[in-house]
Amino acid sequence: MWNYERRLEYPVNITTPNAKLAQAIISQYGGPDGEMGASMRYLSQRYACPYREVAAVLTDIGTEELAHLEMVATIVHQLTKNLSMEEIEESGFANYYVDHTIGIWPQAAGGVPFNACEFQSKGDIITDLCEDMAADGAILQKQQKI
Amino acid sequence: MNMHFANEQEKLLHDIGVMDFVAIEMSLYLDTHPTDRNAMEYFNHYNRMTNQAKKEYSEKFGPLTIALADTSNCSDWTWATLPMPWEGGCA
Amino acid sequence: MKDYMYKENCDKFPLAMAYVPWQRFNGIYDNLEEAFDAGTVFPELDKPFTGRRCCKK
Repeated sequence: MWNYERRLEYPVNITTPNAKLAQAIISQYGGPDGEMGASMRYLSQRYACPYREVAAVLTDIGTEELAHLEMVATIVHQLTKNLSMEEIEESGFANYYVDHTIGIWPQAAGGVPFNACEFQSKGDIITDLCEDMAADGAILQKQQKI
Repeated sequence: MNMHFANEQEKLLHDIGVMDFVAIEMSLYLDTHPTDRNAMEYFNHYNRMTNQAKKEYSEKFGPLTIALADTSNCSDWTWATLPMPWEGGCA
Repeated sequence: MKDYMYKENCDKFPLAMAYVPWQRFNGIYDNLEEAFDAGTVFPELDKPFTGRRCCKK
């Protein structure tokens, strides 16, 4: 089961709102290479795992990805909480804003809602670990781009 | 890097962040290397330090976890009333 | 950087499988603040962000 610790894994203190950046970063929350996908992937794959050590890695990494999820949400929250309407309209953030305002809702930058198609859990540990390597490679590439 | 902290709370929270991070990293390594005694020593050291620091922080500034909440010395259930991490200034 | 490429016995490895080198513990960063900022305590896992593919050309 999970416990919660009332702190971020790494500090986030943003003082200048930026809707355009928020639009890109929301993808790290609920997008195809985002932390929600990462945590759900590992936490889902661990049940079918025949080796305890690997199940332990999947559990612990999945848990840490939840902490990353929290940091990304915090970034988006701090980037958007004091936005003006002009900023919202000019940045391309209006589409998200009209449905969610400053709420955090998991979607990709292009608007695709988070869904289980963002990850795979095949019940075969070799397949699942290959999926994990591919996914983390994609995550790293996306993070470099942002 | 020169770190500057506004107060003891910020400094302690930062130290907890660093030490806990080391413990987590070592735990991930140990998951796949469960017999590595050298790595276990590192884990034990940082895990002890971070537990001690979390206990100290919670006594002074409010609980970091529900398990560390102690209502015998305060009037309110501060777990529900203290700032949330996403508000900024909470590491 | 230490070479973890196993060039020996490659012909004994089954085909059409992905392999990952095994991490060995060689100590952690002395400067933990630096490790915290880098996102890893293991120097061998601290890979630079170049923002582009691995090839230089």
